[in-house]
Amino acid sequence: MARTTKLSLDEWDTLHNNGPWDLKFLYKTKLEASSLMPSNLDRYNDAAREIQKLLKEAKNKNDGFRAYGSAWSLSHIAHQKDRMHFNAHMNEYFSFKDQDLHHLSGYDADDIFMFQCGNVIKEISEKLAGHGKSLKSSGASNGQTIAGCISTGVHGSGIKVGSVQDYVVGLNLIVGPNPGDIVYLERHSKPVLNDVFVQKIRSRVIRNDGLFNAALVGLGSFGFIYGVVIESQNLFLLKRYVKSIKKELALELAESLDFENFTEIPEEVVGGKGREPYHYKVFINQYQKDDTDYVVELMYKKDFKLNYPDPFPVIKKSIYRDLIQVAVSLGAQFTGLIPKFVNALESTILPKVDEVSIGTLAETFWDAPYQGPAFAISFGVPQNLSGKTLEILSEIARKKRTPGIFAMRFIKKSEATLSFARFDKTCMIEIDGVLWNEKKNLGSLNGLSREMMVALHKNSIPFTIHWGKNADWAFVGDDWQASSLADYMYGEDAKKWREYRSSLLAPDMQKLFSNRFLKECGLDRSESVQNPADLVASLV
Amino acid sequence: MKTEVFRCSLFIFILLGTFLLNSCYSVRLRSVEGTPEPAFPMVRDDYYRTMQVVELDTVITIGALDKDFTYLIKRSDLCPSGKLHTVEYRNTLGAVLLSGITFGRKRKVKIKYVCMKSN
Repeated sequence: MARTTKLSLDEWDTLHNNGPWDLKFLYKTKLEASSLMPSNLDRYNDAAREIQKLLKEAKNKNDGFRAYGSAWSLSHIAHQKDRMHFNAHMNEYFSFKDQDLHHLSGYDADDIFMFQCGNVIKEISEKLAGHGKSLKSSGASNGQTIAGCISTGVHGSGIKVGSVQDYVVGLNLIVGPNPGDIVYLERHSKPVLNDVFVQKIRSRVIRNDGLFNAALVGLGSFGFIYGVVIESQNLFLLKRYVKSIKKELALELAESLDFENFTEIPEEVVGGKGREPYHYKVFINQYQKDDTDYVVELMYKKDFKLNYPDPFPVIKKSIYRDLIQVAVSLGAQFTGLIPKFVNALESTILPKVDEVSIGTLAETFWDAPYQGPAFAISFGVPQNLSGKTLEILSEIARKKRTPGIFAMRFIKKSEATLSFARFDKTCMIEIDGVLWNEKKNLGSLNGLSREMMVALHKNSIPFTIHWGKNADWAFVGDDWQASSLADYMYGEDAKKWREYRSSLLAPDMQKLFSNRFLKECGLDRSESVQNPADLVASLV
Repeated sequence: MKTEVFRCSLFIFILLGTFLLNSCYSVRLRSVEGTPEPAFPMVRDDYYRTMQVVELDTVITIGALDKDFTYLIKRSDLCPSGKLHTVEYRNTLGAVLLSGITFGRKRKVKIKYVCMKSN
């Protein structure tokens, strides 16, 4: 039997020390030993029963319940004041054969895998590599759990690939403590697994595009994400270049994402035209206003082969360098010195120009060490407005002497209802840095985010905010004609998301899977739906 | 004369300080493969914040006929896989002196290790 450890605690914090916040109980469930329960399907189903037991316990006490993975989110999205469940030890996985696929499935069984919620990106990559496969994209590092990634919309800078949730093709959710409360969701337009397999995981299948897309970025509030089915691809290599290019060119590439005329990397020019990179990222030090050049990072996809040069001497030094390190925190004690500190440390913070490496996706986006309390504010804007947005946000950060620097990454539009990658091509413009003492003269982090939101609104720039990053989530401008920030950013889609959630989850479960974050965003309330059963009916 | 004594004392003090500082150091080995056993709950504020770290601070005694000593890593609650992901070894002046004055029979062992996450 799966074993649960229960701790009585007073508080809980994120990896980056963005809390702490109150907590009553912290749970951890470990799977039964394989020596006692050899079938991975049995261990998977056994732990699902255990989770249902915990849900029942929480429900009976009228408490909230929330699962979390690696606590990497900087916002309070993962926090629940009553009961929280640490998922990382539930890490089974399944591969499939043709006979497991739905008869209408267009997928290749070799590419399909199901991962239990607690698998972190690094272990998924290793498990997939054993099958000659790879994830299609990841975030800047590899420590998040798969369930955490999709709940918050973790993204890289895959111009044509999208975020982690965009290669998820099936979701196994536990939506309550009763038999029949384990559901398996797929798109009806793209079914994946057959009913026989779904029965093996004791689930009720619902094939419904609208419901699936709503649950995909579910903010941890669409039930307990228990299993995630993904479509992988064959292993590939990424060749990474760091270049210093003219500011105008860097911004032109950002706004057009057209690389045909970009010929500064001769190796990536074919027939006189620049190849389209897999990944494009621009680093901006807002305190070097007169910079003529920007540092950019480009990655190009290559076929996988063995015996490529060891990427670790470069990767070890370059991973997550956009997070300013301890030295800047000294600067935060003397606010006037922050711009000087950031400038002095620019070469340490940014990747080294002319650096080149080649490695798999997992090697390129490798381990990120803990570097102390950190903040990040990340806006999604239409990519053609990235230059204007950068100008506006940089001006605010300069004025506020914010201890961080900007970076821009780009992602394909997602089908998920509440994905912040909602524009045709979304530019994620982010300021990362060291958490400061709000008693000093820097103002508050929430205040900074509010000022940025107001400025974007005033300049008619539509925006979204990364669910896992810092913001004043309870804020909405008086004249924004929206009841909440989520309604302002997502319009009808916010309502649609609430409708699907209200139809899938019973009222007591909506409350149980809610938290302060959801309430602040305006997403916790029920929407009245005329025929809820029809809305969440299986369509295939 | 007094100035010379002061300079001499200062020189010895700096030399001793440098010696003491350099005699304390850590070396960390980390596998590029594998996922570390996660911390539950997460309470540290150092390099190991996300990891379930096991700290060992003890003195081992080597028998007169023993050439070396092997510390076995076994499966435990803190190390369910029994496989190593990261090892950090710390050397201190005290450890060097202890080994020296006991002719190598007593050895200070100060290590931190993190195991691979179990499947």
